[in-house]
Amino acid sequence: MRLLRETHGRPRRWHYLGALLVVALVVAGCGSSSSSSSSSSGSSSSSSSSSSAAAPTTSLSGGEPIQKAVAPRTGTGTPIKIAVMSDCQGAFGSFDNQDLAGVVSAISQFAGGKPVNPALPRAGWTGGAIGNHPLKLVGVGCSNDSADTVIRETRRLMEQDGADIMIGPLSGDESIAVANYAKQHPTKTFVDGAAGAQDTTLKVQAPNFFRFNGDGAMWNAGLGDLAFNKLHWKTAAVISDDYSFGWTSTAGFIADFCAAGGQITKRIFPPLNTTDYSSYAQQVPTNVDGYFVAVGGSGLIPFLKAYEQAHGPIDGKKFIGNLFWGTPGLFESLGPRVAGAYVGGAGTAGDLATPAAQDYANNIIGHWFKTIPPGGPAAAQAASTFTYGYYINTWGLLKGLEAVKGDISGGQKALQAAIGKASLPAPYGPITLDANRQGIITSYYQQLFLKGGKLAVKTVASIPNVNQTFGGTFSGSTPAPGRTFPNCVKRSLPWQGKEASVPVVGGG
Amino acid sequence: MSRLRARATIDRNVGAVLVLVAIFAPLIFNTYWIGTLLTDALILGILAATLIFLSAYGGMVSLAQVALYGIAAFAIGNLTTTGNTKGLNLGWSPLAAVPVAILVTLLMGLLFGVLARRSFGIYFLMITLTFGVIANLFFGEVTTVSGFGGISGIPTPTIIGNPAQHPARLYFVALVLALAVYALLRYLARTPFGLTLQGIRDDPVRMASLGYNVSLHRTLVFGAMSAVAGVGGILFAWWNGHVDPATINIGNSINVLIIAVIGGLSRLEGAWIGALVFVILNNYAQQISFVSSRFETLIGVIFLVIVLLSPDGLTGLWARAIDLLRTSRKQVPAADPGGGSPAN
Repeated sequence: MRLLRETHGRPRRWHYLGALLVVALVVAGCGSSSSSSSSSSGSSSSSSSSSSAAAPTTSLSGGEPIQKAVAPRTGTGTPIKIAVMSDCQGAFGSFDNQDLAGVVSAISQFAGGKPVNPALPRAGWTGGAIGNHPLKLVGVGCSNDSADTVIRETRRLMEQDGADIMIGPLSGDESIAVANYAKQHPTKTFVDGAAGAQDTTLKVQAPNFFRFNGDGAMWNAGLGDLAFNKLHWKTAAVISDDYSFGWTSTAGFIADFCAAGGQITKRIFPPLNTTDYSSYAQQVPTNVDGYFVAVGGSGLIPFLKAYEQAHGPIDGKKFIGNLFWGTPGLFESLGPRVAGAYVGGAGTAGDLATPAAQDYANNIIGHWFKTIPPGGPAAAQAASTFTYGYYINTWGLLKGLEAVKGDISGGQKALQAAIGKASLPAPYGPITLDANRQGIITSYYQQLFLKGGKLAVKTVASIPNVNQTFGGTFSGSTPAPGRTFPNCVKRSLPWQGKEASVPVVGGG
Repeated sequence: MSRLRARATIDRNVGAVLVLVAIFAPLIFNTYWIGTLLTDALILGILAATLIFLSAYGGMVSLAQVALYGIAAFAIGNLTTTGNTKGLNLGWSPLAAVPVAILVTLLMGLLFGVLARRSFGIYFLMITLTFGVIANLFFGEVTTVSGFGGISGIPTPTIIGNPAQHPARLYFVALVLALAVYALLRYLARTPFGLTLQGIRDDPVRMASLGYNVSLHRTLVFGAMSAVAGVGGILFAWWNGHVDPATINIGNSINVLIIAVIGGLSRLEGAWIGALVFVILNNYAQQISFVSSRFETLIGVIFLVIVLLSPDGLTGLWARAIDLLRTSRKQVPAADPGGGSPAN
């Protein structure tokens, strides 16, 4: 339909807008794949920074792997079509290759595959088979940490490329959407990548979605016990980003601290991406024994500076942070004042001096890949939340496939049952699955300390058998973590008092 | 005028063929195309049509259309889901929620319209962009109705069923609604209301001096297009089964503008053509090995080429091609007068 305006010959005013759009779009596109790491530092920081703070160079380096790689395999049977969902855009886009490094290393180690390019994990793998069924990579999804995009990409991989199994996604909200998608497609199987949303397994409970990594609350297990029993905090205030990951992360500390007998006297939730934290710093009470701070990304340092302006110099021993605190370089402008602060983890401990942990970094990830772009040497990135998450989830999948000898007929029911029973002697502690197909894991916490006058971070203790429910604090019928949930309730937790100090390399 | 009439005839014939192809699409294309690409294109086309209508007939380039579409989707999500940790979980029947969702969207559209009614040009663009940002942040921050994680598990009406199992059903519903929206907008443009709107677009001062209530007209058309965008939002919620604030972020607002520009801002059909091209590009670009995760750059380059070749988008390119073809046909007998007539 030709419009009147055109027939009247009026000039069009769209050229300037079109040009503006083009410039914006091309710029956005150019930067989409790898440059957007600004807000993601915290998400992998605890692991990667700990490994960088303490380079994993033990006698195991370059030696014989403890988990020996299977011989190269190819199969002639019906291929098992596997898709991987990664984030190549958005806040976690720069960790895209870490995701794929985890997957490809596990396929290479346990199913006889081989990286296509040892310097570029995203190129995928060749070979690899289970029970004479070749493992075929049919596609790699490119999401951007939004549920909307991950659904589109999942559809493309599962419905257009015909994948039987998907590994991923990376982030929390994505995983909830994928778990819901999984519910609608019971004859396909999904294993998580590195996503830590609690609802994914606790609430959605898709029978064909499996997660071997922990959730955001589990990663902070043990911190409350530490605060109450070792630091002797009786009261604490929490300050957290006001969004789902912040709430979940904080919920883990609250549940743990209150279970031990502590009291949370104040909960403060600055909106995400706040630039001026002065009004929130003013709300921080001074009559408490300590603070749990789950402000991340570019907000952490401005918040701490605002705190100092309001209440004087930081005393590191009065602070516990979540995984966002695991990058010592962040605190340059605060100097040594944050030394002594404890830090929650993400289920990894790169400086762990156990043979299994060092073997994983040097002889598995470091064996199959020389580099993981853009971060450099591969072994140093083995303890990243993303590399490790995709690695253990792929390993769990392969264990299930081995149990059914690669036979995924019958709507994959046998495979799904087998994955549910899989247990992993994983590098950072054994993993089994609960009834919701959620991993029961070992958590770690770390501490910032001064090493030669410079701030560094070391793993301090492990907390065994951390499960998602926190002794009944969280269940399928409780509200999701939020500004007011969980309540502060004293209760018994399976891991209370069981945290154990761990040997670390180079930790001082 | 004969040139325009001839082109209109060709357009009608091509349009009829395309509609026939769309009707028989489930026999031609695989289920992924039907359930994902074509359904998505139809839904985005409805949304882009509202932007084109506002721009072409009202001179109002709105970046709030995606927010309004999202309001309808969030309304459906809140009204129909149960057992989610976020949202109102009212558990209504999906069909009963439809009029309420459209009403909510209409009211929000009228509210936005009232606030923006005296803004023109770049100021209108900016104020509607602000509406989009407000909506995005509202649904992110207010966990009572969503939160950043959004609302999942949105049920579809029984007649549509599970889109994963019956992709053609939702496709046909989207197709019928897209055709209805197209017919409605064409009709609206020819009514006295539509003609007045075009007068306001061309010279609001003169129309005001003639006694027309310019602000009221602009508010009403913005409200009406909000309701139409709401139809798209409801279809999206059923199709996607999930809605979250990222659905209505700035990136998606710009995507719909890109769709409209690719298709052509001077023709309503451009909405669906642009949407189809955008969806297909988005889907297949990243499968090209050397493009991979930089597929948005490729889409940007293609967009650049289209805009440079034809500021009227693909529909403008089509119109020019038809004109060129007719002109070249007429020039053949002029160059050789002796051989032009079979009677000779």
